[in-house]
Amino acid sequence: MFKRVNFTHLSLLIFFFTLTALNPSIAQDDDGIPTDPAVISAGEKLFNGNCKTCHQVHKKVIGPALKDVWTRVPQPAVPWITAFVKNSSAVIASGDEYAVNLYEEYNKTQMTSFAFKDDQILSIIAYVKAESANVPEEKVVDNGGNQGGGDQTANASVDSGYLTAILVILIVVLVLILIVLGIIVNVLTKYLKDKKDLEEDDAEVVNQTFDLGKLAKSNGVIGLVIFLFVAIMMKAGIDGLFTVGVQQNYQPSQPIAFSHKIHAGQYEIDCNYCHTGVRKAKSANIPSANICMNCHTAIKTDSEQIQKIYAAIDYNPETQEYGPNTKPIEWVRIHNLPDLAYFNHSQHVKVGGLECETCHGEIKEMDVVYQYAPLTMGWCINCHRETEVNSKGNAYYDNLVEIHEAKSKDPMTVEDIGGLECSKCHY
Amino acid sequence: MKRNLTRFSGFVLAVYMLAGCAAKDDYPGLEYAPQMYHSTPYEPLSQIQNEEIGSWLDSNPEDEHGEFYNSNPYNAHGMTMREPVANTVRRGEDLPYRYAKDDLELAAAELTSPLEDSKSVVKEGKALYDRFCEHCHGKTGQGDGLVGEVFLGVPVYNSAALKDVSEGHIFHVITMGKGRMGAHASQLSVEERWKVVKYVQTLQKQ
Repeated sequence: MFKRVNFTHLSLLIFFFTLTALNPSIAQDDDGIPTDPAVISAGEKLFNGNCKTCHQVHKKVIGPALKDVWTRVPQPAVPWITAFVKNSSAVIASGDEYAVNLYEEYNKTQMTSFAFKDDQILSIIAYVKAESANVPEEKVVDNGGNQGGGDQTANASVDSGYLTAILVILIVVLVLILIVLGIIVNVLTKYLKDKKDLEEDDAEVVNQTFDLGKLAKSNGVIGLVIFLFVAIMMKAGIDGLFTVGVQQNYQPSQPIAFSHKIHAGQYEIDCNYCHTGVRKAKSANIPSANICMNCHTAIKTDSEQIQKIYAAIDYNPETQEYGPNTKPIEWVRIHNLPDLAYFNHSQHVKVGGLECETCHGEIKEMDVVYQYAPLTMGWCINCHRETEVNSKGNAYYDNLVEIHEAKSKDPMTVEDIGGLECSKCHY
Repeated sequence: MKRNLTRFSGFVLAVYMLAGCAAKDDYPGLEYAPQMYHSTPYEPLSQIQNEEIGSWLDSNPEDEHGEFYNSNPYNAHGMTMREPVANTVRRGEDLPYRYAKDDLELAAAELTSPLEDSKSVVKEGKALYDRFCEHCHGKTGQGDGLVGEVFLGVPVYNSAALKDVSEGHIFHVITMGKGRMGAHASQLSVEERWKVVKYVQTLQKQ
């Protein structure tokens, strides 16, 4: 009797041990996916660090949306997903029908292999399952750009709206004050006229009349008007003469409505990324279309402006292939230094350490670029007179700095090392 | 009086015309000595294809086109720039990159950096990374750059899949592109790419 009970107990114990050994996690569903919060949060961490860039739970990104993924892959789901995550190309190569279809559907984009442990993958699946149950909040989808720009313009117009309103209110108030003062003067004059006992001086003031015609014909006024007119005309004429041969503010429309405000401003893409010559050569260069295509294979592919790039390089966004019928994009040159002057970007940007904005203005605010600087010789010379040479850490200047410091206490400007010599720029 | 009026209106008209010389929108402004602005030799970044432009001051009637026309009639689209002759290498330049885009595994195994490990190399790599990579890959290689967030699919350098890839792998990906990323060989020289690799390696290990 005693022995039998003992045996039953033992078998029960073994049964329970086997159960726990088979299923290390305590809480789990029928499909073998854990529901333990600790496992899910571990999975979340792994998901965000490794998967998020290509997969979201509720939205298709680069790879499929992972919502309910364990129900649609070949069963049993967990081993299949594990194999796919560890080496997707092996699964595809094995001829697995589901994997091959997936590969074809996503334009033969292969998923990166991840060297996870099995329980790590299980925790990611647990996280995906937990997330699948959460209904996503309705969010406005940012389709890659315009929205931010639009908001900013709206803000700016709101600001200028306020300003106009304040100005209008001010003007109305001033006019009202003027009217009120006029009325007061009238009332007072009438009151004083009625009085008989005024002194002669006061009576003269009260009874005086204002003759506009007589004033206008007086020599002083005519002289003043002629002087003002001539002065203003002379000023306009001289200003006009100074614009001859100076293309400041030239803002031509370009064949493609490229906005520096979006690219350099909103997205903070460095100027160098596209203008690759700026630190290496005389010219900063207009980027070739392959640089556009580093992003625009995926961003705003439906935009009318981007279609113009595709047309120029004969790119088919459907098949993602390039054809032979290319033609140049004819950008309109804005800054055109005459041939008689030499200018080198790399000398100023790389050696001198100047910012692009120093000469090109607030490019990050410009939708359409205009010539900010006058590019006149006076403008060049002025800067060479005022600017200190960026000699720090540049052995080329060591001797020059030494000689300069022996002679003068002021910092060494470009002028001091021959920056005003004619032949520096004209040869 | 009439004479005065003519003089006066002449003065106003002259001022008005001068004020119209300034550049605005599509009008580049009146050019003083326009032959200085329009290069007779071919220029790489400016090109005028309209044969009529500048015919009013034509100094060489024999060429049968306006003074400012400077397109090369022998090139496609009259272009003045040409691509280097196929299969040639510029003096002093590295030999062409021999691995095809799909040879990632081979390149990853075979390519090694010619640069030494040094702080200054990493620093230069960081400067280049900030200019050429950061807007997609993010400040610390987390794929969270401003462009990366709309481009999507930008990987995390220290993720399980990438934290151990070799320097050759990184170099090959910069040179030829991978997945959605385009080739960046036209923007970065070979040496610059290796500098970026050195910096990216520090981000892998963070």
